[in-house]
Amino acid sequence: MDLHDIALAVGNSGLGEWMRTNVRAMPIVEALHVIAAATVFGTVLVVDLRLLGLPDLKRAVTRISGEMLHFTWAAFGLAVITGVMMFAANANTYYGNTEFRIKLLALAAAGVNMALFHFGAFRSVAQWDSNQVSPRAAKVAAALSILLWVGVIFVARWIGFTKGYDFSVPDNIDLDLTIP
Amino acid sequence: MEQFAQWLQATQLSVAIQSTTWLIPLLQSIHIVMIGVVFVAVLLLVLRVLGVARTDEPPSVVWAHFAPWIKRGVTVLALTGLVLIISEPVREFTALSFWLKMLLLALGIASIAALGSALRRDGAASRPLAVFTLLLWLAVIFLGRAIAYDVEVWGALSFKA
Repeated sequence: MDLHDIALAVGNSGLGEWMRTNVRAMPIVEALHVIAAATVFGTVLVVDLRLLGLPDLKRAVTRISGEMLHFTWAAFGLAVITGVMMFAANANTYYGNTEFRIKLLALAAAGVNMALFHFGAFRSVAQWDSNQVSPRAAKVAAALSILLWVGVIFVARWIGFTKGYDFSVPDNIDLDLTIP
Repeated sequence: MEQFAQWLQATQLSVAIQSTTWLIPLLQSIHIVMIGVVFVAVLLLVLRVLGVARTDEPPSVVWAHFAPWIKRGVTVLALTGLVLIISEPVREFTALSFWLKMLLLALGIASIAALGSALRRDGAASRPLAVFTLLLWLAVIFLGRAIAYDVEVWGALSFKA
């Protein structure tokens, strides 16, 4: 079973069927996805800007990141769930969509950047937690993080404008079965 | 209103925006990024009022920190939104979601101003108002996305139905 088979299985699942047959499902799920994405980006931005030394300098880095992190993860969870739901509605089209693939790569890059920061510069955070100026590695990670998340949002919105993508799939047609 | 929308959609400016294929996705992306900025700033103000976040800082400091982000963010949202409206006025003006969004947006801005008048003086802002403010902004984001699906969301209530 390769990735394409998995994508097809998701598309042909009950979830995919439900997304295609409920007329209100797509707008509601998309709106939740926007709310989730906005929350992920905004909360990550608060931490990144502190690392870059823009606002919030009186508060320690870990205080701000600790405060924001549960919102970031909760919103990210919602974004994944709603994302899978949207994917299921039109799995085969998304699977073959270049912009969708770029988005996943950008998302993965944002994750790798976060992991590198977490297991790198952040390990010595106790030494610079309350400093106004963060170490260079932390600043680079923060700047990359902002760029990558903005990139994820841009590419994501771009998917909706790419050719061959059909937002309103007729109820009685299962697109996944028509494409080899 | 629909005649106005039709006229606007046929103007050179509107046609120019429509025919620049990358412009609308770019503006929508900037719009979403700014939603993130404004929504999280609103969220943190609300959480401060509720005593959940940033309780180590006086309310006036939290307000002074986030109010400028909300103001600038809303300005960018208004500008990108305006160009998006000019590019597709018929789609926007015939959508019930659009008009509801504008109404709740006005209420959302007014309720932030009301919270701000208490926070600025380090006074106790109303907790129900804070929760209401957050719900208003969530509804504004929801309705923004729902503009593209007016009939699906509102059924017979949609002006497009």
